[in-house]
Amino acid sequence: MSSTVIPFGPQHPVLPEPLHIKLVMEDENIVDAIPAIGYVHRGLEKLTETKEFTQNVFVVERVCGICSVMHAMAYCQGIEELMNIEVPDRAKFLRVIWAELHRMHSHLLWLGLLADAFGFESLFMQVWRDREKVMDIMEETAGARVVISANTIGGTRRDLTKEQMVKINVTVDEIKHDIQQVEAVFLNNYTVKHRLVGRGILSKADAIELCAVGPMARAAGIPMDLRTTGYSAYGQLDFEPVTHSDGDNYARTYVRLHEVYQSIDLIKQAIAKIPEGEHVAPFKGNPPKGEVISRVEQPRGEVLYYLRANGTKNLERLRLRTPTFQNIPSLIKMLPGSQLADVPLLILTIDPCISCTER
Amino acid sequence: MIENLVEITSDQLLGEITKAKVEGYRFVTASCADNGDDTIDVIYHFDRDYGMKNFKITVKKGEEVPSISKVIFSAVLVENEMKELFGLNITGIVIDYGGHMLLSEEELGSPFLRQQITIEQRGGKQ
Repeated sequence: MSSTVIPFGPQHPVLPEPLHIKLVMEDENIVDAIPAIGYVHRGLEKLTETKEFTQNVFVVERVCGICSVMHAMAYCQGIEELMNIEVPDRAKFLRVIWAELHRMHSHLLWLGLLADAFGFESLFMQVWRDREKVMDIMEETAGARVVISANTIGGTRRDLTKEQMVKINVTVDEIKHDIQQVEAVFLNNYTVKHRLVGRGILSKADAIELCAVGPMARAAGIPMDLRTTGYSAYGQLDFEPVTHSDGDNYARTYVRLHEVYQSIDLIKQAIAKIPEGEHVAPFKGNPPKGEVISRVEQPRGEVLYYLRANGTKNLERLRLRTPTFQNIPSLIKMLPGSQLADVPLLILTIDPCISCTER
Repeated sequence: MIENLVEITSDQLLGEITKAKVEGYRFVTASCADNGDDTIDVIYHFDRDYGMKNFKITVKKGEEVPSISKVIFSAVLVENEMKELFGLNITGIVIDYGGHMLLSEEELGSPFLRQQITIEQRGGKQ
């Protein structure tokens, strides 16, 4: 049978950002897929070499809006390790609260996009209504809705009042109640399951072979979650990675939906356990010197920061590897064998963040 | 400051990477840094049960570095990226974008290197 090459993207209704994939088709079946990126490459890694190490917190936050808190967190943790800065316990809990709020709004955004992609507009609107509540918390607590600049080297730039924590507790309970209302539609509705179950399968063996991370790996049965290493205040909180064994579109939906509940639980635990005290440790002394690797768990999976400093105010090198960058090989593996009609949903279920991927 | 960092030569690279994979290490990524002289450091990061193992090679600019993508397919993108942004001469990448995964024809070559020619002659003007 002769093959046809169909370009998917870079502009496509299901993609919020530009990603191009050449699909080699035989009839309606995909036999090969070649990705092309590079449409929004900004050279942010190079930019960090021209800024002072304290200014870079604001640069790395702009790698990606959806996980900006985690980018800043990973960068600050790296610098703090290089400079032997002891972060106050309160700041560690504050970082967890803002990070989990970010994970919630990322997963809720994705669930809404998924609903929109399979044509369930009212579901999309219901999920995004709850996401707005998270954005409102960000605005009230940090003064911005997306890039909130909560982290700084040595702790956090802001603190939370008791009243704010009470309000966060009430709001996340409301969101939990709302998501429980729509959970059955995502996980049990016949039409939705028809689009998700058995489509875009990434087996556990393939996920290991292709080094998948985040919900992609957990949906394939790999209980890998860097938060379990206990960085920041996660070591003082009780949780287990959410996993599924099927590795298909449905499994990835299940994992992200349940991670919303997990984030709510972590926020409530952190608020219950947060100690009194300072939220930032002032630091003195020489600028950082040496090499360090810092990793945290973003909504899409593991992010790695490699920092090389030479004792001046400017870093010699800042390298970051984002989760979507790592999950693209898995996408290439999942596409062959699928039908053309399944491609939009399949690509969406890796939760691609091209802004992160290209930096 | 980097845990479990092993310095190797580029000749040992494929052997060490293959051994790490067999031992159950997961490839995380590779990082490239210009040393400011005529050499580049490349660090290959691996993880097993949240513990990292890192292999570092130091190569001269222009020196051939074998691709690890035959052993670890997920290294394809990062190898193409290092090849374009640092001009690293990686040979045998399974999917080679020929220097145009991120950069277009008009871009300067190897923009992440510290030393580069920044004045171009265009239409007789500098």
